[in-house]
Amino acid sequence: MDGEISKFTIEEKLSCQSLTPQTTVNLLDSVDVFLFDCDGVIWKGDALIDGVSDTLDTLRAMGKKLVFVTNNSTKSRRQYAKKFHSLGISVSEDEIFSSSFAAAMYLKANDFPKEKKVYVIGEEGILEELELAGFTGVGGPEDGKKTAHLKPNSLFEHDKSVGAVVVGLDQYINFYKLQYGTLCIRENPGCLFIATNRDAVGHLTDLQEWPGAGCMVAAICGSTQKEPIVVGKPSTFLMEFLLQKFNIPTSRMCMVGDRLDTDILFGQNAGCRTLLVLSGVTNLSDLQDSSNHIRPEYYTSTLSDIISLFNNYQSSF
Amino acid sequence: MLFSKFSAAAVSSSSATLFLNPQNRFNFAKKTPSIANPLLCNSLRPIVEWSFSKRNCSRKMDASASSRTVSPRASAEQLKDPDQLIDSVETFIFDCDGVIWKGDKLIDGVPETLDMLRSKGKRLVFVTNNSTKSRKQYGKKFETLGLNVNEEEIFASSFAAAAYLKSIDFPKDKKVYVVGEDGILKELELAGIQYLGGRYEDGEKKIELKPGYMMEHDENVGAVVVGFDRYFNYYKIQYATLCIRENPGCLFIATNRDAVTHLTDAQEWAGGGSMVGAIGGSTQREPLVVGKPSTFMMDYLANKFNISKSQICMVGDRLDTDILFGQNGGCKTLLVLSGVTSLSMLQNPNNAIQPDFYTNKISDFLSLKAATV
Repeated sequence: MDGEISKFTIEEKLSCQSLTPQTTVNLLDSVDVFLFDCDGVIWKGDALIDGVSDTLDTLRAMGKKLVFVTNNSTKSRRQYAKKFHSLGISVSEDEIFSSSFAAAMYLKANDFPKEKKVYVIGEEGILEELELAGFTGVGGPEDGKKTAHLKPNSLFEHDKSVGAVVVGLDQYINFYKLQYGTLCIRENPGCLFIATNRDAVGHLTDLQEWPGAGCMVAAICGSTQKEPIVVGKPSTFLMEFLLQKFNIPTSRMCMVGDRLDTDILFGQNAGCRTLLVLSGVTNLSDLQDSSNHIRPEYYTSTLSDIISLFNNYQSSF
Repeated sequence: MLFSKFSAAAVSSSSATLFLNPQNRFNFAKKTPSIANPLLCNSLRPIVEWSFSKRNCSRKMDASASSRTVSPRASAEQLKDPDQLIDSVETFIFDCDGVIWKGDKLIDGVPETLDMLRSKGKRLVFVTNNSTKSRKQYGKKFETLGLNVNEEEIFASSFAAAAYLKSIDFPKDKKVYVVGEDGILKELELAGIQYLGGRYEDGEKKIELKPGYMMEHDENVGAVVVGFDRYFNYYKIQYATLCIRENPGCLFIATNRDAVTHLTDAQEWAGGGSMVGAIGGSTQREPLVVGKPSTFMMDYLANKFNISKSQICMVGDRLDTDILFGQNGGCKTLLVLSGVTSLSMLQNPNNAIQPDFYTNKISDFLSLKAATV
């Protein structure tokens, strides 16, 4: 890149500024890895956000490494790779870090016994990742069809060998699953309560926001009076895998997301640069509201601004 | 090393994963522990402002959820002189599950005990957090069990929700969206309040998350009431969430937040606290709680029957709802061990809630000597 690159002052770093051509160039120069959230950044529901495909291609051509870190646990990494391909974006499975993958890796990292089972309040993605990691998952979408029968002298049974309950986004949530998960956590000694994430709402379709995993997790907190171990953003659990993959300091990574209390907080907690895009759940007034205390380094309207601002800088010479 | 720093942070205390950087004041993280906290007691403002801005409505933690800390009290005394307690109060408030009945079975000695108290001129009131039935339906349950109880003496959290809305002059042109069962619907109907939702209307509904699909919701919904709901599903969660987040001034009311409940006498079942938690999780708002331990029902009946709270004894089996309710209301409190709480739970050093007295079951009132525990 031609032209001088100015050094950041501490004030600039902390001040939550709108991206400009100059600061975009500075950012591109000082970052080797871009971490992207998906919902609200890359796509909204099943619709690709404008300009994303070209932006990702350009960043790759610049030699940047790209990684996708999503809290949406409904799909596995393999299923996400398929979604990217169907939208015309080429991505390899090992560039994707979903919270479904995180849950399975957490159990692996903590030597979860293979003879114990995992009860899943969530969708296929979690079940698939558990299977790939060699664990036995029970529950999932199938239990969405079950009802709990309340009769005097009849017991709602649950598997005593369940050693962990993993809770994520579940559009098939029902009383049966709430009861099953509650009994496992309350009655099976040492049973873990793991949350893939706690996002309140998300753009599951392009037109509106829908309740996220934060809802299902809070339901189980309500009946067990326990707090979960959270493996998705803003927990930095996934960062360990990223560091192993790249061997690059986090200060040369930039987290790009649409949500302050997960994406941006994750980036800050891990020591990365942070860029908020306003194409998802957060708008400018949310960011500037006095009750918000999470300040990304930069913000911009949408992902493709990175390239248009960069081109803008280039063309000014 | 960098690796161990990150994995340690993930493995350590669960809520620490949200507090990794103490410099970040993180509103979301502050909310989540309180949603799970059973001791959170809401004092309700009887007048509610209808002019909330949309942004305030969806973002602000509802400030009426003031938590009352339980001040350290002397340990509970085993009840030795029932007559002294009976003579010192005018009114007994009884919880139902675990005090009067367990599931559908009457607890031993209850009919005679209630008769004795009535013969001494005591007023009896029954306050239950169970919102599945209306007062009328509870009246029938009492009758089936052979107990002489009037509908007017029963205060279920289903009734409390309707009574609360009436007390704030909930506008006639507004509707209530219900995530709950029949009891709530019946009480709203009796109070002349329009409602949507419930088992038959929304319990069977499914959604399909496809491109171009949008869930519509009624803009006239001015309150969402959430209680125990065996027909809970994603459709209802989204409908309730949309109303709360998008209808200006929309109230979020919870009948109760009990974690588990004894629906059958054989085991515990996930309770209203679960459904309320879910809606709290998607809206990031705290509800106004009308059931125990909120004192709304206490204030209501003290006002209705013109009784002074120091003249009341609250009798219940659950520390974080019944006993806390009594203490918050300034009444005497008696814990019975015939329900969910055992003596070891009461005496556990982690337990901060100490009732004035405890005894095995209410029929101990009839014994002349101290009941052996």
